[in-house]
Amino acid sequence: MVNLNCSKMKNEVENIIGLSNELRWKLGGEFHDHISESIYADASEIVEETVNTAGKKGRNAIDVKIDQIVTSRKWGFPIMFLILGVILWITIIGANYPSSLLAELLLDTIHPALKSGANSIGMPWWLSGFLIDGVYLALAWVIAVMLPPMAIFFPLFTLLEDFGYLPRVAFNLDYLFKKAGAHGKQALTMSMGFGCNAAGVVATRIIDSPRERLIAIITNNFSLCNGRWPTQILIASIFVGAIVPEALSGTAAVFAVIGIAILGMVFMFASSWLLSKTVLKGQVSTFNLELPPYRPPRFWKTLYTSLIDRTLIVLWRAIVFAAPAGAVIWLISNIMIGDHSIAYWMIDSLNGFGWLIGLNGVILVAYIVAIPANEIVIPTVLMLTVLVTGMAGGAGAGVMFELDSVNATGDILRAGGWTLLTAINLMLFSLLHNPCSTTIYTIYKETKSVKWTAVATLMPLAMGFVVTFLVAQIWYMFS
Amino acid sequence: MNISQPLYNLILFVLLAGLLYFLFRPTKGWFWIIQNSVRTDQKTITEDILKQMYTWENQGVDIFKEDLIKSLKYSDGTQEDVLETMEKSMLITQTEEVLELTRSGRSYAIKIVRVHRLWEKYLAEKTGFEKSEWHHRAEKMEHRLSHEETNILATKLGNPMYDPHGDPIPTHEGDVLDIEGESLAELDVDTVGKIVHIEDEPDVIYQQILAENIHIGSQIRVVENSKQRVLFYSEGEEFVLAPEVAKNITIQVFETEVVFEEDAVRLSSLKKGEEAEIIGISKEFRGDGRRRLLDLGFVKGTPIKIDLVSPLSNPKAYLVKGTTIALREDQAAKILIKKR
Repeated sequence: MVNLNCSKMKNEVENIIGLSNELRWKLGGEFHDHISESIYADASEIVEETVNTAGKKGRNAIDVKIDQIVTSRKWGFPIMFLILGVILWITIIGANYPSSLLAELLLDTIHPALKSGANSIGMPWWLSGFLIDGVYLALAWVIAVMLPPMAIFFPLFTLLEDFGYLPRVAFNLDYLFKKAGAHGKQALTMSMGFGCNAAGVVATRIIDSPRERLIAIITNNFSLCNGRWPTQILIASIFVGAIVPEALSGTAAVFAVIGIAILGMVFMFASSWLLSKTVLKGQVSTFNLELPPYRPPRFWKTLYTSLIDRTLIVLWRAIVFAAPAGAVIWLISNIMIGDHSIAYWMIDSLNGFGWLIGLNGVILVAYIVAIPANEIVIPTVLMLTVLVTGMAGGAGAGVMFELDSVNATGDILRAGGWTLLTAINLMLFSLLHNPCSTTIYTIYKETKSVKWTAVATLMPLAMGFVVTFLVAQIWYMFS
Repeated sequence: MNISQPLYNLILFVLLAGLLYFLFRPTKGWFWIIQNSVRTDQKTITEDILKQMYTWENQGVDIFKEDLIKSLKYSDGTQEDVLETMEKSMLITQTEEVLELTRSGRSYAIKIVRVHRLWEKYLAEKTGFEKSEWHHRAEKMEHRLSHEETNILATKLGNPMYDPHGDPIPTHEGDVLDIEGESLAELDVDTVGKIVHIEDEPDVIYQQILAENIHIGSQIRVVENSKQRVLFYSEGEEFVLAPEVAKNITIQVFETEVVFEEDAVRLSSLKKGEEAEIIGISKEFRGDGRRRLLDLGFVKGTPIKIDLVSPLSNPKAYLVKGTTIALREDQAAKILIKKR
């Protein structure tokens, strides 16, 4: 009885499905579209009738005025570049002072104090070396170099965002980015990358089209971040500044650094285009950009949220990664295999490859162990150079250091065999290499994909090898 | 080899880069070609033959074995073998040199067509692949999806009736709807209708149609039809096509009572200072982008005007329901408006 009912019901269900299939053909292909569109149209009609808006409808007159200026043919671009330039300038110049204060406190005062404290309680040298010269020093370094520029850059940037200017930048530049298969908002995440690539990657959340967002994430590393500006400036003033007359050396160095930053943008556009035409072409791509009304920025709230949400989160991630890096740096410089430290053997085996791409083993080892933060590349390079050349100076095996005098730094590097080629290629490699581990981790968190994280990590590295290789070989040919 | 000789290093690098390029360049790379030929098996060839025969039978052409073998890209010997196997398994019959599909051959062919069209629909709705790539990708996929997978795909897409080119998708029982319509090349002057189908083969002609920015679902009015050219008016713009190209566009001719929306134009033609009202979004605006636009209030009857033009003239920002929304030129071309 039950079975009979069941089969009867099944039959009926099948009949209904059959009938519905038949009827569907009579409705025509646009049936779904018509329904959804009329729902939307009805909804907007209901809103029109029932919702009262205070004040007059339409756009604020002041907003319209501002928009006409900041998106005009004549003023749109100059205003944009001026604002970005001023922000970067304030960040780089303004960060010097707090940075040197922090360095004095954390590196020159607390570090020796800790060391002598450890000695006085009879801590063995290897333990105090590992903990204080390794872990603590890397942490202190990252905080001293990273915190001030971020604490200046992010609030300024967030204020502009809050004011409503940034979407206009995306609007102005969209056509250029469209040509490269990207979204105009990538201009913003790219600018954010000038502060910190990890923050730039997080900022890509504003791009709601999947393909363009991935492009923005993968190419963010081509924005020279705060951790790399000081390296660029230092190397440019030592080596590029030296080849022009003394009076022009400052200007030449600045132009060299700006040139590298612009080269980064060129690579960003080129690889965006390449990605959108190859591996990413199957990803969904949409576009729309809302230009919200302007509003006076809420200064204190902005300051607070940008410090908490952006600066501290990024700093925390950097610290988490920097601590083990410090340990590794100390260990490879102090653990001996045969007559030499691990660092020596690594440098020795990488020297050949380093030569091929116009760098050297020291730089490559520094980039391997300093993956957590670009900030500690130069201190590591200096320490390793002193270590392998056996020259006087420095603070001991595995203890990173930096010198106050640009000339003295130059002397150490030249003694390590650096030439103008090494300097140029280091600047290029600093631009074109894998993102720091904080950024890599952030990319993974944002994409949830090992594949895209790998692409974002390895693509710039491969480009770096190719570019430095070509420059080096052509250089060797003519010298 | 001596690594201290820069010239050799550079030459080696260029050779290596060249090799990689030829191996992996999109579609024509040797690696992809080899991968494709490895994947081509008996089943693929059988299915391609069935599909070709199905198309020709629908056109009412007699299928000569020689023509069939010439039309497909596989070697003659392989095709002969496959045809023989197909005859044995009762998919086709052969009298003299003329081939015919059996009942089971025909229903097999319809299944392949179903997968092909469903996959094109999928690519159009759920991925970002360019229109020009849909066909080639579906050509590969049609041999890979099983019957169950196809049904799951159809359900996920909401059992669509037409593929993005306007071809009806066979149901899983194997019913196929005919497209009602006439070829654009054969219409009289002043005929009014709607584009219901754009043929995606041959590729050369399809690319020309794509380049013209002609949209499926658009209303048209024929203005001139001669041996040299077909001129028609649609969405405020004039289109000129060679009859060879126009042949591949199918028009559903309207009965007299349907009013031709003569004043419907594309949003891209709106000028600064003009005011308009939205009529609708073209069928070519698909997937997420379309839904997003509806969310933002681009619905029938909404007033719209240009608010801002970017310094590079594209995109433009439109004022819709008190909000400023920027759209790119190619998007604006897929929104229909009526100027006030």
